[in-house]
Amino acid sequence: MANHADTHDDHYHPPGLQHQFDDMKQQMDSVTIGMWAFLVQEIMFFGGLFTVYLVFRSRYPMAFAAGSNHLDPFWGGLNTLVLIVSSLTMALTVYYAQKGNRNMQVILIVLTMLFGTVFLGVKAVEYNDKYNHGLIPVNGWNKKIKEGEHTTEKSSLTLPFETKVSAASEEGKTEVHANPKGNFQIEDKDLELVQNAVNGNYLTQSEKIGYFNANNEIDKGMFTGKVQIFFWIYFVMTGLHALHMIIGLGVMLWLLWMAWRGTFTAQYFAPVEIAGLYWHFVDIVWIFLFPLLYLLGRHFLH
Amino acid sequence: MQNIDAINVSGIRAEPPVNYLTNGFTIKSWLLTKDHKRIAIMYLLSISVFFMLGGLYASAIRLELLTPASDLLQSGTYNKVFTQHGIIMIFLFLIPAIPAVLGNFLIPIMIGAKDLAFPRINLLSLYIYWAAGALIVFALLQGGVDTGWTFYTPYSTTFSNSYVMLVGLGIFVNGFSSILTGLNFIVTIHTMRAPGMTWFRMPLFVWAHYATSLVMILGTPVIAITVLMLALERAVGIGIFDPAIGGDPILFQHLFWFYSHPAVYIMILPGMGIISELISNFSRKKIFGYEFIAFSSIAIAVFGFLVWGHHMFVSGQSIYAGLVFSFLTMVVAVPSAIKVFNWAATLYQGSISYDTPMLYGLFFIGLFLIGGLTGLFLGAIGLTVHLTDTYFIVAHFHYVMVGGQVLAYLGGIHYWWSKMTGKMYPEFWGKIAAMLVFVGFNLTFFPQFILGYMGMPRRYASYPAEFQVLNIFSTAGASILGIGLMMPVFYLTYSFFFGKKAEANPWMLPGLEWRTASPPPTENFEKTPIVTWEAYEFGEENGLDLEEAKRRELVAPVV
Amino acid sequence: MANYLSEEHIEGHEHEDQEHIGIPGYLVVFGILVVGTILTYFTSFLDLDKIFAGANTLLALLIAFTKMTVVVLYFMHVRWSSRLVWLTAIAGFFWLAIMFAFTMQDYLTRSSGTF
Repeated sequence: MANHADTHDDHYHPPGLQHQFDDMKQQMDSVTIGMWAFLVQEIMFFGGLFTVYLVFRSRYPMAFAAGSNHLDPFWGGLNTLVLIVSSLTMALTVYYAQKGNRNMQVILIVLTMLFGTVFLGVKAVEYNDKYNHGLIPVNGWNKKIKEGEHTTEKSSLTLPFETKVSAASEEGKTEVHANPKGNFQIEDKDLELVQNAVNGNYLTQSEKIGYFNANNEIDKGMFTGKVQIFFWIYFVMTGLHALHMIIGLGVMLWLLWMAWRGTFTAQYFAPVEIAGLYWHFVDIVWIFLFPLLYLLGRHFLH
Repeated sequence: MQNIDAINVSGIRAEPPVNYLTNGFTIKSWLLTKDHKRIAIMYLLSISVFFMLGGLYASAIRLELLTPASDLLQSGTYNKVFTQHGIIMIFLFLIPAIPAVLGNFLIPIMIGAKDLAFPRINLLSLYIYWAAGALIVFALLQGGVDTGWTFYTPYSTTFSNSYVMLVGLGIFVNGFSSILTGLNFIVTIHTMRAPGMTWFRMPLFVWAHYATSLVMILGTPVIAITVLMLALERAVGIGIFDPAIGGDPILFQHLFWFYSHPAVYIMILPGMGIISELISNFSRKKIFGYEFIAFSSIAIAVFGFLVWGHHMFVSGQSIYAGLVFSFLTMVVAVPSAIKVFNWAATLYQGSISYDTPMLYGLFFIGLFLIGGLTGLFLGAIGLTVHLTDTYFIVAHFHYVMVGGQVLAYLGGIHYWWSKMTGKMYPEFWGKIAAMLVFVGFNLTFFPQFILGYMGMPRRYASYPAEFQVLNIFSTAGASILGIGLMMPVFYLTYSFFFGKKAEANPWMLPGLEWRTASPPPTENFEKTPIVTWEAYEFGEENGLDLEEAKRRELVAPVV
Repeated sequence: MANYLSEEHIEGHEHEDQEHIGIPGYLVVFGILVVGTILTYFTSFLDLDKIFAGANTLLALLIAFTKMTVVVLYFMHVRWSSRLVWLTAIAGFFWLAIMFAFTMQDYLTRSSGTF
């Protein structure tokens, strides 16, 4: 609130105060509420995808378990830790900006960006892995592996107590099957999940219709379609999240430049604070994506 | 220190040295402006262009429907015409119109601020709107879309051969314009109010825009992600709406209507805000039930998110979901009804003057009432099964959107024209146009209620011969409506250049916007106002007494 | 030049509270997040559905909610922010809940059924 009725600017303006605001507190309050309103909007944006996930997971849990078992929880978990560390460095950046400590700000922004980049690098590794194993849900978009080009490759870190990393692996190795047209394909072993569900009688109504053909046998083609839905959701959700990370890195770069020039002081650090809000939000989305995509189906095979 | 706490018409300089229009004449000073008023004027021009484009499509529809056969347009073309009419009118006109033009112009002034909280984001909103409009028009020129503005899957994802993705991209982009405007308004209303301007001293116009902004922020991102998913599925050929792999087309409808129903509240809430201003000010009486109207706006915004399934009664959603949505649809009508009662109570024993804006206001109440009540008919599942996808629906939504929102928009434009341009619109032509609009509108759309009840389906280029007479009435009405809507384009433009100069407060009204010059200076007020009066405070102490108004012939003498 | 603006309206006035947890506090929050991640990873391999159906999911979501809460309260400073910010954050999640609940109430009540 202005404590003067004069709109003429004949007094000192603190650096960073924009002309439409009367004082720094009004500016800080405004940009904070503004960023939170933007984050609410982002919640609803991702929310649409979470709704889609919710609907299809409740319909086809076994297909989702199969899909989830093809993801590597090690890389997913590592990425989660990477983002958590980046959130810490971000929070510390705001802390030091508030203290007016330019050098620490710069170091911490660089660290935050570093971890963000590591996250994206891991995602690239994961996506490439999906490409190699015929798990990109669009036919023709996977690696074309001619008949007879069978290979086995070591899959990533297998922890001692785990019996299997994925439905398709034995002793930590992954069979790479022929895929001449680069289609989406699942393993026969994935159908074990459906068989177990039949035996244990915990298929949903939609599954009882959706996985079985006219002869009431488990149909690999029909099951594949539902796993395709899982991977469609996986790629769209993690892809959109990665896009937000990239934008976040762009914002960090701009912040780095401003911090380097010593723009932020104890009186003016609003941009750091609100950039931090955005960064933490992106972290929170991943905090939910990790268990929902990577972990909820593991126990069916153990 | 001079406070403007008593209305003192002569105390405001009639002609400040520089107003926002004369503060720079270069194109750069307009295109790179941070002034919310200039941004509002640019929106006004853009929105008028899109409205006329949408109107051209409407003319094509009504011309085709003069005869039962599909003779003017083939079915495929007709599909494109009604789709594009819908898309342009909804996304490029109805959703932005009142907030981007009148909201942008007036909200800072009404709360005593220099500008919105984020002027550059406001400019960005405008640029994004232009980009979206360009994308959509480009798509139309390439060949357009034929899916209906509702883009239902699997037609839009798999079978349509039209430019779905391009138009979808335009809608996606347009959403951000909306979101940023809403964000700006919410922050501005929270943090930029002048000293003394408490929440309950704000005009109801501002409350209405606050509620609208809530809907914009909470709803618009969902249409964005939905359109994105639609475009992706169309692009890669596989997706979650595809039944062949286990997907669900109804899920699209859920996600689509999650936004598109609250979107209609984005359209009508600002209109209701205008009506509160018009009714109160042209009855020279404080609005009846201020708090009720303010809270009703918020209630409509909140409850509006709970009823989207009433667009899906026959889609295949479960009957129990239908039950819940039907019940809540009845509930959401209550706050709207509360507003109508309060407006009526305001009129009672008011000193009513029938200026053009008031005519639009009064017409709004009647037409919105009909539109709203027919909405209740459609919310009842038994009736809706018979009336779904008929002209009854078309009539219902045109009554609320045209009879409601467009009339409110026109009323607002006329009401604040003097404030925005410093010139008075010609009252005689204003009244003529308002009456043509009212007569033309009713002649166009009332027969459509009957047609719908009789069973004429919507979105069909041809129809059974027994429906022709009513269709002819409808087209005739559309011609009159078209003339009535085009007239303001001419006389308002004329008045901008050659009209009578307006004083700061031509009707002697208490609102804060009338306590600065017409047109206002760039910073809105010469000195920051300190507000010590309540909203709509007429009366002698404020120099707004009735006798003075009668003497100045602002009010018709009571016979 | 002394000026009342920069002295009277020092921004961050209400942010002094953030120093209350300071760097040690942030490290504690970090620790909670790491522990939560490890916990959710290992419990996902255990079959908790023996206890009741959906137990695995519930546990994973509880852990995720806890992590989110500490990030929101401490890293995003909501603990020390105005009530408006609290309300905004809560509103976002409430609206998400509306979208989930009202969509699922269709799917759960269809005659073809979900479960």
